[in-house]
Amino acid sequence: MLIKSSGMTDVGLQRERNEDSFSVQDTVGLYMVADGMGGHLAGEVASRVAVEIINKSFGKWSEIQAPPDEIFGFPDESLSREGNYILGSIRLANRVIYEMASEYEQYNGMGTTIVSLLVGSGRIVAANVGDSRMYLVRDNRIERMSKDHTIVAEHVEMGVMTEEEAARSPLRHILTRNLGSSENVDAEVFEIEPSSEDLFIMCSDGLTDLATDEEILRIALKESDSQRLTRRLIDLALERGAPDNTTVVSVFLDQVEKRRVTSLGRLGSLVADALTGANLIKRKLGL
Amino acid sequence: MAKLILTFNKQVIKEYPFAKDSITMGRQDDNAIVIDNLAVSGYHAKIDKLGGEYILTDLQSTNGTFVNDQKVVSHKLSHGDNIVIGKHVILFVATEKEKIEGEGKDKKLPLDKTMLLDTAKQRELLAKQKVAPPTARIPVKVGVISFIDDSGLGEIELLKKLTKIGKAETSEIKLSGILMGATAATISRRPSGYAISFAGGMTKLKVNGAVVKDSVPLNDFDTIELGSHKFQFYQKEVKSA
Repeated sequence: MLIKSSGMTDVGLQRERNEDSFSVQDTVGLYMVADGMGGHLAGEVASRVAVEIINKSFGKWSEIQAPPDEIFGFPDESLSREGNYILGSIRLANRVIYEMASEYEQYNGMGTTIVSLLVGSGRIVAANVGDSRMYLVRDNRIERMSKDHTIVAEHVEMGVMTEEEAARSPLRHILTRNLGSSENVDAEVFEIEPSSEDLFIMCSDGLTDLATDEEILRIALKESDSQRLTRRLIDLALERGAPDNTTVVSVFLDQVEKRRVTSLGRLGSLVADALTGANLIKRKLGL
Repeated sequence: MAKLILTFNKQVIKEYPFAKDSITMGRQDDNAIVIDNLAVSGYHAKIDKLGGEYILTDLQSTNGTFVNDQKVVSHKLSHGDNIVIGKHVILFVATEKEKIEGEGKDKKLPLDKTMLLDTAKQRELLAKQKVAPPTARIPVKVGVISFIDDSGLGEIELLKKLTKIGKAETSEIKLSGILMGATAATISRRPSGYAISFAGGMTKLKVNGAVVKDSVPLNDFDTIELGSHKFQFYQKEVKSA
Protein backbone atom coordinates (compact mmCIF):
# COMPACT_ATOMS: atom_id res chain seq x y z
CA MET A 1 0.00 0.00 0.00
CA LEU A 2 1.18 3.50 -0.82
CA ILE A 3 0.30 6.41 1.45
CA LYS A 4 0.66 10.06 0.54
CA SER A 5 -0.22 12.44 3.32
CA SER A 6 0.14 16.02 4.47
CA GLY A 7 -1.07 18.25 7.28
CA MET A 8 -1.33 21.98 7.70
CA THR A 9 -2.74 24.40 10.24
CA ASP A 10 -3.53 28.11 10.06
CA VAL A 11 -4.36 30.47 12.92
CA GLY A 12 -7.01 32.12 10.72
CA LEU A 13 -7.81 35.79 10.35
CA GLN A 14 -9.41 36.64 13.69
CA ARG A 15 -7.79 34.59 16.43
CA GLU A 16 -4.49 35.49 18.03
CA ARG A 17 -3.44 31.99 18.96
CA ASN A 18 -3.65 28.65 17.27
CA GLU A 19 -5.13 26.07 19.62
CA ASP A 20 -5.24 23.27 17.02
CA SER A 21 -2.63 20.52 16.83
CA PHE A 22 -2.10 17.80 14.26
CA SER A 23 0.17 14.84 13.66
CA VAL A 24 1.18 12.97 10.50
CA GLN A 25 3.10 9.71 11.02
CA ASP A 26 3.49 7.76 7.80
CA THR A 27 5.71 5.06 9.33
CA VAL A 28 3.03 4.07 11.87
CA GLY A 29 0.11 5.06 9.65
CA LEU A 30 -1.38 7.25 12.37
CA TYR A 31 -2.89 10.69 11.65
CA MET A 32 -4.62 13.13 14.00
CA VAL A 33 -6.25 16.53 14.32
CA ALA A 34 -7.10 18.06 17.72
CA ASP A 35 -8.89 21.34 18.42
CA GLY A 36 -8.13 22.66 21.90
CA MET A 37 -10.28 24.90 24.06
CA GLY A 38 -9.69 26.79 27.31
CA GLY A 39 -8.23 30.17 28.22
CA HIS A 40 -4.66 31.48 28.01
CA LEU A 41 -2.38 28.71 26.79
CA ALA A 42 -4.59 25.87 28.00
CA GLY A 43 -6.25 25.09 24.65
CA GLU A 44 -2.90 24.74 22.93
CA VAL A 45 -1.60 22.56 25.73
CA ALA A 46 -4.65 20.27 25.70
CA SER A 47 -4.57 19.61 21.95
CA ARG A 48 -0.81 19.04 21.94
CA VAL A 49 -0.91 16.71 24.95
CA ALA A 50 -3.70 14.67 23.33
CA VAL A 51 -1.77 14.16 20.10
CA GLU A 52 1.50 13.33 21.88
CA ILE A 53 -0.02 10.83 24.29
CA ILE A 54 -1.98 9.00 21.63
CA ASN A 55 1.12 8.78 19.42
CA LYS A 56 3.22 7.47 22.28
CA SER A 57 0.81 4.96 23.76
CA PHE A 58 -0.37 3.61 20.43
CA GLY A 59 3.27 3.26 19.33
CA LYS A 60 4.21 1.42 22.48
CA TRP A 61 1.24 -0.93 22.57
CA SER A 62 1.55 -1.93 18.95
CA GLU A 63 5.31 -2.40 19.28
CA ILE A 64 4.96 -4.89 22.12
CA GLN A 65 1.62 -6.23 20.76
CA ALA A 66 0.02 -5.60 24.16
CA PRO A 67 -2.87 -7.94 24.97
CA PRO A 68 -6.15 -5.97 24.77
CA ASP A 69 -6.93 -6.49 28.47
CA GLU A 70 -3.67 -4.82 29.47
CA ILE A 71 -4.42 -1.49 27.83
CA PHE A 72 -6.21 1.43 29.46
CA GLY A 73 -9.83 0.63 30.38
CA PHE A 74 -11.97 -2.30 29.35
CA PRO A 75 -11.41 -3.56 25.81
CA ASP A 76 -14.30 -3.13 23.36
CA GLU A 77 -15.23 -6.55 22.00
CA SER A 78 -16.59 -5.12 18.78
CA LEU A 79 -13.17 -3.75 17.82
CA SER A 80 -9.98 -5.28 16.51
CA ARG A 81 -6.79 -5.22 18.55
CA GLU A 82 -5.58 -2.12 16.73
CA GLY A 83 -8.99 -0.50 17.29
CA ASN A 84 -8.64 -1.17 21.01
CA TYR A 85 -5.15 0.38 21.06
CA ILE A 86 -6.63 3.57 19.59
CA LEU A 87 -9.60 3.52 21.98
CA GLY A 88 -7.28 2.98 24.97
CA SER A 89 -4.91 5.73 23.83
CA ILE A 90 -7.76 8.23 23.59
CA ARG A 91 -9.00 7.25 27.06
CA LEU A 92 -5.49 7.69 28.42
CA ALA A 93 -5.09 11.12 26.80
CA ASN A 94 -8.44 12.15 28.29
CA ARG A 95 -7.39 11.08 31.77
CA VAL A 96 -4.06 12.94 31.57
CA ILE A 97 -5.70 16.16 30.36
CA TYR A 98 -8.42 15.79 33.00
CA GLU A 99 -5.82 15.35 35.76
CA MET A 100 -3.80 18.34 34.51
CA ALA A 101 -6.92 20.49 34.33
CA SER A 102 -7.97 19.64 37.88
CA GLU A 103 -4.45 19.84 39.32
CA TYR A 104 -3.20 23.15 37.92
CA GLU A 105 -5.14 26.38 38.12
CA GLN A 106 -3.86 27.70 34.80
CA TYR A 107 -5.26 24.61 33.07
CA ASN A 108 -8.72 24.67 34.70
CA GLY A 109 -11.41 24.04 32.13
CA MET A 110 -9.10 23.01 29.32
CA GLY A 111 -10.14 20.40 26.84
CA THR A 112 -9.74 19.29 23.26
CA THR A 113 -11.43 17.41 20.47
CA ILE A 114 -9.65 14.55 18.73
CA VAL A 115 -10.06 12.79 15.42
CA SER A 116 -7.63 10.02 14.51
CA LEU A 117 -7.07 7.79 11.50
CA LEU A 118 -5.08 4.58 11.64
CA VAL A 119 -4.13 2.97 8.36
CA GLY A 120 -3.45 -0.54 9.57
CA SER A 121 -2.81 -3.77 7.78
CA GLY A 122 -6.03 -4.54 5.94
CA ARG A 123 -8.00 -2.29 8.25
CA ILE A 124 -8.74 1.39 8.72
CA VAL A 125 -9.59 2.60 12.21
CA ALA A 126 -11.36 5.96 12.51
CA ALA A 127 -11.98 7.46 15.95
CA ASN A 128 -13.21 10.77 17.30
CA VAL A 129 -14.42 12.74 20.30
CA GLY A 130 -15.93 16.20 19.80
CA ASP A 131 -16.65 17.98 16.52
CA SER A 132 -13.44 17.59 14.51
CA ARG A 133 -14.34 15.47 11.52
CA MET A 134 -13.09 12.77 9.22
CA TYR A 135 -14.34 12.31 5.67
CA LEU A 136 -13.82 9.39 3.33
CA VAL A 137 -13.84 10.17 -0.38
CA ARG A 138 -14.39 6.94 -2.34
CA ASP A 139 -16.01 6.35 -5.73
CA ASN A 140 -16.60 10.11 -6.21
CA ARG A 141 -18.70 10.20 -3.05
CA ILE A 142 -18.03 11.76 0.34
CA GLU A 143 -18.97 10.07 3.59
CA ARG A 144 -18.40 11.08 7.20
CA MET A 145 -16.30 8.63 9.15
CA SER A 146 -16.75 10.53 12.41
CA LYS A 147 -19.71 11.49 14.56
CA ASP A 148 -20.04 15.03 15.90
CA HIS A 149 -20.53 15.19 19.65
CA THR A 150 -22.58 18.36 19.72
CA ILE A 151 -26.06 19.18 21.01
CA VAL A 152 -27.27 19.80 17.48
CA ALA A 153 -25.85 16.54 16.11
CA GLU A 154 -27.69 14.65 18.86
CA HIS A 155 -30.87 16.49 17.90
CA VAL A 156 -30.36 15.55 14.26
CA GLU A 157 -29.90 11.92 15.25
CA MET A 158 -33.07 12.02 17.35
CA GLY A 159 -34.85 13.40 14.31
CA VAL A 160 -35.97 16.68 15.90
CA MET A 161 -33.66 18.85 13.78
CA THR A 162 -32.50 18.73 10.15
CA GLU A 163 -28.86 18.90 9.02
CA GLU A 164 -29.52 22.36 7.56
CA GLU A 165 -31.00 23.66 10.81
CA ALA A 166 -28.06 22.18 12.68
CA ALA A 167 -25.51 23.92 10.47
CA ARG A 168 -27.18 27.28 11.15
CA SER A 169 -28.03 26.79 14.82
CA PRO A 170 -26.31 29.15 17.26
CA LEU A 171 -25.78 26.10 19.46
CA ARG A 172 -23.69 24.24 16.91
CA HIS A 173 -20.43 24.84 18.78
CA ILE A 174 -21.59 23.35 22.03
CA LEU A 175 -19.97 19.99 22.56
CA THR A 176 -21.45 17.16 24.59
CA ARG A 177 -18.11 15.37 24.86
CA ASN A 178 -14.45 16.33 24.73
CA LEU A 179 -11.12 15.18 26.13
CA GLY A 180 -10.37 16.68 29.54
CA SER A 181 -13.68 17.59 31.09
CA SER A 182 -14.58 14.32 32.76
CA GLU A 183 -12.65 11.41 34.19
CA ASN A 184 -13.79 8.97 31.54
CA VAL A 185 -14.77 9.43 27.94
CA ASP A 186 -16.15 7.20 25.20
CA ALA A 187 -14.69 7.69 21.76
CA GLU A 188 -16.59 6.91 18.59
CA VAL A 189 -14.61 4.21 16.77
CA PHE A 190 -15.26 2.80 13.29
CA GLU A 191 -13.39 0.19 11.31
CA ILE A 192 -13.49 -0.32 7.57
CA GLU A 193 -11.59 -2.20 4.90
CA PRO A 194 -9.29 0.08 2.86
CA SER A 195 -9.77 0.33 -0.86
CA SER A 196 -7.53 1.57 -3.63
CA GLU A 197 -7.69 5.33 -4.17
CA ASP A 198 -9.35 6.00 -0.82
CA LEU A 199 -8.89 9.56 0.36
CA PHE A 200 -9.30 10.55 4.02
CA ILE A 201 -9.67 14.18 5.07
CA MET A 202 -9.52 15.19 8.73
CA CYS A 203 -10.19 18.73 9.84
CA SER A 204 -11.13 21.04 12.69
CA ASP A 205 -14.41 22.98 12.69
CA GLY A 206 -12.53 25.98 11.29
CA LEU A 207 -13.13 24.34 7.90
CA THR A 208 -16.48 22.58 8.38
CA ASP A 209 -18.09 25.76 9.72
CA LEU A 210 -17.39 27.46 6.41
CA ALA A 211 -17.72 24.65 3.88
CA THR A 212 -20.35 22.01 3.24
CA ASP A 213 -19.52 18.34 2.71
CA GLU A 214 -20.32 18.76 -1.01
CA GLU A 215 -17.93 21.71 -1.36
CA ILE A 216 -15.16 19.70 0.26
CA LEU A 217 -15.93 16.80 -2.12
CA ARG A 218 -15.80 19.06 -5.19
CA ILE A 219 -12.34 20.31 -4.24
CA ALA A 220 -11.15 16.82 -3.29
CA LEU A 221 -12.12 15.44 -6.70
CA LYS A 222 -10.03 18.09 -8.45
CA GLU A 223 -6.81 17.49 -6.52
CA SER A 224 -4.82 14.29 -6.62
CA ASP A 225 -1.88 15.64 -4.64
CA SER A 226 -2.13 15.53 -0.86
CA GLN A 227 -0.22 18.72 -0.20
CA ARG A 228 -2.12 20.71 -2.82
CA LEU A 229 -5.47 19.47 -1.51
CA THR A 230 -4.61 20.34 2.09
CA ARG A 231 -3.45 23.81 1.01
CA ARG A 232 -6.57 24.31 -1.12
CA LEU A 233 -8.91 23.51 1.81
CA ILE A 234 -7.03 25.83 4.18
CA ASP A 235 -7.20 28.56 1.52
CA LEU A 236 -10.96 28.05 1.24
CA ALA A 237 -11.36 28.79 4.95
CA LEU A 238 -9.11 31.86 4.63
CA GLU A 239 -11.05 33.14 1.61
CA ARG A 240 -14.20 32.94 3.71
CA GLY A 241 -12.82 34.99 6.58
CA ALA A 242 -11.43 32.19 8.76
CA PRO A 243 -12.80 33.30 12.14
CA ASP A 244 -11.35 30.18 13.75
CA ASN A 245 -8.14 28.17 13.60
CA THR A 246 -8.25 25.77 10.67
CA THR A 247 -6.40 22.48 10.42
CA VAL A 248 -6.51 19.89 7.64
CA VAL A 249 -4.80 16.52 7.26
CA SER A 250 -5.33 14.59 4.04
CA VAL A 251 -4.28 10.99 3.42
CA PHE A 252 -4.37 9.37 -0.03
CA LEU A 253 -4.14 5.59 -0.26
CA ASP A 254 -2.99 3.86 -3.38
CA GLN A 255 -2.27 0.32 -4.53
CA VAL A 256 -4.32 -1.24 -1.76
CA GLU A 257 -4.08 -4.93 -2.43
CA LYS A 258 -7.42 -6.65 -2.56
CA ARG A 259 -6.39 -9.87 -0.92
CA ARG A 260 -6.33 -12.05 -3.98
CA VAL A 261 -4.56 -15.29 -3.44
CA THR A 262 -1.37 -15.65 -5.49
CA SER A 263 -1.68 -17.96 -8.48
CA LEU A 264 0.34 -20.66 -6.75
CA GLY A 265 -1.67 -20.35 -3.54
CA ARG A 266 -4.88 -20.33 -5.54
CA LEU A 267 -3.87 -23.51 -7.31
CA GLY A 268 -3.03 -25.04 -3.95
CA SER A 269 -6.41 -24.17 -2.45
CA LEU A 270 -8.18 -25.30 -5.64
CA VAL A 271 -6.52 -28.68 -5.34
CA ALA A 272 -7.37 -28.84 -1.65
CA ASP A 273 -10.98 -27.90 -2.34
CA ALA A 274 -11.17 -30.43 -5.15
CA LEU A 275 -9.81 -33.11 -2.86
CA THR A 276 -12.24 -32.36 -0.04
CA GLY A 277 -14.98 -32.15 -2.63
CA ALA A 278 -13.99 -35.49 -4.04
CA ASN A 279 -13.85 -36.99 -0.56
CA LEU A 280 -17.32 -35.66 0.19
CA ILE A 281 -18.71 -37.14 -2.99
CA LYS A 282 -16.96 -40.40 -2.27
CA ARG A 283 -18.43 -40.49 1.21
CA LYS A 284 -21.86 -39.63 -0.08
CA LEU A 285 -21.69 -42.40 -2.63
CA GLY A 286 -20.39 -44.73 0.06
CA LEU A 287 -17.11 -45.39 -1.72
CA MET B 1 -27.72 38.72 37.73
CA ALA B 2 -30.37 37.33 35.41
CA LYS B 3 -33.55 36.04 37.00
CA LEU B 4 -36.55 33.87 36.28
CA ILE B 5 -40.06 34.81 37.32
CA LEU B 6 -42.48 31.93 37.74
CA THR B 7 -46.09 32.87 37.01
CA PHE B 8 -49.40 31.04 36.90
CA ASN B 9 -52.56 32.63 35.46
CA LYS B 10 -50.62 35.89 35.17
CA GLN B 11 -49.93 35.85 38.91
CA VAL B 12 -46.32 35.96 40.01
CA ILE B 13 -45.60 32.97 42.23
CA LYS B 14 -41.91 33.41 42.89
CA GLU B 15 -38.72 35.00 41.58
CA TYR B 16 -35.54 32.99 41.15
CA PRO B 17 -32.18 34.72 40.75
CA PHE B 18 -29.88 32.82 38.38
CA ALA B 19 -27.10 32.21 40.90
CA LYS B 20 -25.64 28.96 39.60
CA ASP B 21 -24.29 27.79 36.25
CA SER B 22 -27.19 25.48 35.70
CA ILE B 23 -30.73 25.18 37.01
CA THR B 24 -33.43 22.62 36.40
CA MET B 25 -37.21 22.90 36.42
CA GLY B 26 -39.68 20.15 37.10
CA ARG B 27 -42.06 18.45 39.46
CA GLN B 28 -39.47 16.69 41.64
CA ASP B 29 -38.37 18.38 44.88
CA ASP B 30 -34.71 18.65 44.00
CA ASN B 31 -35.24 20.95 41.03
CA ALA B 32 -34.16 24.57 41.48
CA ILE B 33 -37.62 25.59 40.29
CA VAL B 34 -40.24 23.16 41.52
CA ILE B 35 -43.54 23.25 39.64
CA ASP B 36 -46.07 20.98 41.30
CA ASN B 37 -48.40 20.16 38.44
CA LEU B 38 -49.19 16.88 36.70
CA ALA B 39 -48.55 18.40 33.27
CA VAL B 40 -44.94 18.93 34.30
CA SER B 41 -42.35 16.14 34.05
CA GLY B 42 -40.12 15.18 36.98
CA TYR B 43 -37.18 16.94 35.38
CA HIS B 44 -38.75 18.96 32.64
CA ALA B 45 -36.19 21.43 31.37
CA LYS B 46 -32.94 23.07 32.33
CA ILE B 47 -31.08 26.29 31.72
CA ASP B 48 -27.30 26.37 31.47
CA LYS B 49 -25.23 29.51 31.67
CA LEU B 50 -22.56 29.26 29.01
CA GLY B 51 -20.12 32.09 28.49
CA GLY B 52 -22.67 34.80 29.25
CA GLU B 53 -25.48 33.10 27.35
CA TYR B 54 -28.42 31.22 28.81
CA ILE B 55 -29.36 28.02 27.03
CA LEU B 56 -32.71 26.39 27.70
CA THR B 57 -32.89 22.64 27.02
CA ASP B 58 -36.00 20.50 27.18
CA LEU B 59 -35.15 17.29 29.07
CA GLN B 60 -37.29 15.12 26.81
CA SER B 61 -40.36 16.12 28.81
CA THR B 62 -43.68 14.48 28.11
CA ASN B 63 -45.56 17.66 27.29
CA GLY B 64 -42.72 19.73 25.87
CA THR B 65 -41.23 23.13 26.58
CA PHE B 66 -42.34 26.25 24.71
CA VAL B 67 -40.73 29.65 24.29
CA ASN B 68 -43.03 32.43 23.12
CA ASP B 69 -45.46 29.76 21.81
CA GLN B 70 -42.79 27.89 19.84
CA LYS B 71 -41.94 24.34 20.88
CA VAL B 72 -38.21 24.15 21.55
CA VAL B 73 -35.67 21.45 22.15
CA SER B 74 -32.90 23.87 22.93
CA HIS B 75 -33.05 27.62 22.78
CA LYS B 76 -30.80 30.60 23.52
CA LEU B 77 -32.79 32.78 25.89
CA SER B 78 -33.22 36.49 25.26
CA HIS B 79 -34.48 39.10 27.67
CA GLY B 80 -38.26 38.90 27.94
CA ASP B 81 -38.66 35.33 26.67
CA ASN B 82 -41.67 33.47 28.04
CA ILE B 83 -40.90 29.87 28.87
CA VAL B 84 -44.09 27.86 28.98
CA ILE B 85 -44.14 24.59 30.91
CA GLY B 86 -47.59 23.09 31.31
CA LYS B 87 -49.78 25.98 32.36
CA HIS B 88 -46.96 27.83 34.07
CA VAL B 89 -45.10 30.68 32.41
CA ILE B 90 -41.56 31.54 33.40
CA LEU B 91 -40.35 34.96 32.34
CA PHE B 92 -36.64 35.30 31.64
CA VAL B 93 -35.19 38.64 32.72
CA ALA B 94 -31.61 39.45 31.76
CA THR B 95 -29.52 41.98 33.69
CA GLU B 96 -29.04 45.47 32.23
CA LYS B 97 -25.50 44.59 31.18
CA GLU B 98 -26.57 41.38 29.47
CA LYS B 99 -29.42 43.19 27.76
CA ILE B 100 -27.06 45.73 26.20
CA GLU B 101 -24.54 43.07 25.18
CA GLY B 102 -27.31 40.95 23.78
CA GLU B 103 -28.62 43.73 21.59
CA GLY B 104 -25.19 44.78 20.37
CA LYS B 105 -23.86 41.43 19.27
CA ASP B 106 -27.10 39.72 18.43
CA LYS B 107 -26.10 38.84 14.89
CA LYS B 108 -22.45 38.21 15.66
CA LEU B 109 -22.86 34.68 16.98
CA PRO B 110 -21.86 35.10 20.59
CA LEU B 111 -21.50 31.35 20.80
CA ASP B 112 -18.76 31.42 18.23
CA LYS B 113 -16.25 29.72 20.46
CA THR B 114 -16.47 26.01 20.94
CA MET B 115 -17.42 25.06 24.47
CA LEU B 116 -18.54 22.07 26.41
CA LEU B 117 -22.01 21.55 27.76
CA ASP B 118 -21.89 20.45 31.37
CA THR B 119 -24.36 17.63 31.33
CA ALA B 120 -23.02 16.00 34.47
CA LYS B 121 -25.72 17.59 36.59
CA GLN B 122 -28.42 16.69 34.11
CA ARG B 123 -27.28 13.09 33.93
CA GLU B 124 -27.01 12.87 37.71
CA LEU B 125 -30.61 14.02 38.08
CA LEU B 126 -31.84 11.66 35.41
CA ALA B 127 -29.95 8.78 36.96
CA LYS B 128 -31.66 9.49 40.29
CA GLN B 129 -34.98 9.26 38.56
CA LYS B 130 -33.91 6.08 36.78
CA VAL B 131 -34.70 7.61 33.43
CA ALA B 132 -32.27 7.11 30.58
CA PRO B 133 -30.53 10.32 29.48
CA PRO B 134 -31.86 11.82 26.24
CA THR B 135 -29.09 10.37 24.08
CA ALA B 136 -30.18 6.85 25.00
CA ARG B 137 -33.56 7.50 23.39
CA ILE B 138 -31.88 7.06 20.04
CA PRO B 139 -32.74 3.46 19.21
CA VAL B 140 -29.70 1.22 19.16
CA LYS B 141 -29.76 -1.09 16.19
CA VAL B 142 -27.58 -4.00 15.27
CA GLY B 143 -27.22 -5.50 11.81
CA VAL B 144 -28.14 -9.11 11.23
CA ILE B 145 -27.57 -11.34 8.24
CA SER B 146 -29.96 -14.15 7.67
CA PHE B 147 -28.97 -17.00 5.37
CA ILE B 148 -31.58 -17.98 2.84
CA ASP B 149 -29.52 -20.69 1.16
CA ASP B 150 -29.12 -24.27 2.32
CA SER B 151 -25.94 -23.59 4.31
CA GLY B 152 -27.81 -23.98 7.58
CA LEU B 153 -26.02 -20.95 9.01
CA GLY B 154 -29.26 -19.29 10.10
CA GLU B 155 -28.98 -15.78 11.50
CA ILE B 156 -25.76 -14.08 12.48
CA GLU B 157 -25.62 -10.80 14.39
CA LEU B 158 -22.93 -8.38 13.24
CA LEU B 159 -21.30 -7.69 16.59
CA LYS B 160 -18.02 -6.35 15.22
CA LYS B 161 -17.42 -2.93 13.69
CA LEU B 162 -15.80 -4.74 10.78
CA THR B 163 -17.05 -8.23 9.92
CA LYS B 164 -14.92 -10.28 7.55
CA ILE B 165 -16.62 -12.89 5.42
CA GLY B 166 -14.58 -15.54 3.64
CA LYS B 167 -12.75 -18.80 3.74
CA ALA B 168 -9.98 -17.75 6.16
CA GLU B 169 -10.08 -19.21 9.68
CA THR B 170 -9.93 -15.68 11.09
CA SER B 171 -13.15 -14.64 9.30
CA GLU B 172 -16.05 -13.68 11.55
CA ILE B 173 -18.33 -15.46 9.09
CA LYS B 174 -16.69 -18.46 7.51
CA LEU B 175 -18.02 -19.57 4.14
CA SER B 176 -16.88 -22.41 1.94
CA GLY B 177 -16.58 -22.50 -1.82
CA ILE B 178 -13.87 -23.32 -4.31
CA LEU B 179 -13.45 -19.75 -5.52
CA MET B 180 -14.26 -18.05 -2.22
CA GLY B 181 -11.59 -15.51 -1.19
CA ALA B 182 -9.78 -15.78 2.13
CA THR B 183 -11.63 -12.56 2.85
CA ALA B 184 -14.26 -12.26 0.15
CA ALA B 185 -16.29 -9.38 1.54
CA THR B 186 -16.49 -7.19 4.61
CA ILE B 187 -19.41 -5.48 6.30
CA SER B 188 -18.53 -2.35 8.23
CA ARG B 189 -20.60 -0.27 10.57
CA ARG B 190 -20.07 3.40 9.72
CA PRO B 191 -21.49 6.69 11.03
CA SER B 192 -24.11 6.57 8.27
CA GLY B 193 -25.00 2.91 8.73
CA TYR B 194 -23.83 -0.45 7.44
CA ALA B 195 -21.96 -0.94 4.17
CA ILE B 196 -20.66 -4.05 2.39
CA SER B 197 -17.39 -4.11 0.45
CA PHE B 198 -15.89 -6.57 -1.96
CA ALA B 199 -12.54 -7.64 -0.53
CA GLY B 200 -11.01 -10.22 -2.87
CA GLY B 201 -11.07 -13.69 -4.30
CA MET B 202 -12.72 -14.99 -7.44
CA THR B 203 -16.25 -15.18 -6.07
CA LYS B 204 -18.52 -12.37 -7.18
CA LEU B 205 -20.32 -10.21 -4.63
CA LYS B 206 -23.85 -9.21 -5.61
CA VAL B 207 -26.29 -6.98 -3.76
CA ASN B 208 -29.88 -7.21 -5.02
CA GLY B 209 -28.54 -8.87 -8.15
CA ALA B 210 -26.00 -6.16 -9.05
CA VAL B 211 -22.28 -6.95 -8.93
CA VAL B 212 -20.38 -4.89 -6.32
CA LYS B 213 -16.72 -4.21 -7.07
CA ASP B 214 -16.09 -1.74 -4.24
CA SER B 215 -18.65 -0.94 -1.57
CA VAL B 216 -22.34 -0.09 -1.25
CA PRO B 217 -24.47 0.95 1.71
CA LEU B 218 -26.77 -1.78 3.03
CA ASN B 219 -30.46 -1.22 3.52
CA ASP B 220 -32.92 -3.40 5.39
CA PHE B 221 -33.83 -6.56 3.45
CA ASP B 222 -31.12 -6.21 0.81
CA THR B 223 -30.27 -9.61 -0.64
CA ILE B 224 -26.58 -10.41 -0.79
CA GLU B 225 -25.05 -13.16 -2.89
CA LEU B 226 -21.53 -14.44 -2.51
CA GLY B 227 -20.96 -17.33 -4.88
CA SER B 228 -23.56 -19.94 -4.02
CA HIS B 229 -24.31 -18.33 -0.67
CA LYS B 230 -27.29 -16.08 -0.34
CA PHE B 231 -28.36 -14.01 2.64
CA GLN B 232 -30.49 -11.06 3.64
CA PHE B 233 -29.46 -8.05 5.68
CA TYR B 234 -31.66 -6.27 8.19
CA GLN B 235 -31.31 -4.29 11.38
CA LYS B 236 -33.00 -5.07 14.63
CA GLU B 237 -33.42 -2.85 17.63
CA VAL B 238 -31.55 -3.90 20.72
CA LYS B 239 -31.72 -2.59 24.25
CA SER B 240 -29.21 0.19 24.76
CA ALA B 241 -26.21 -0.73 26.81
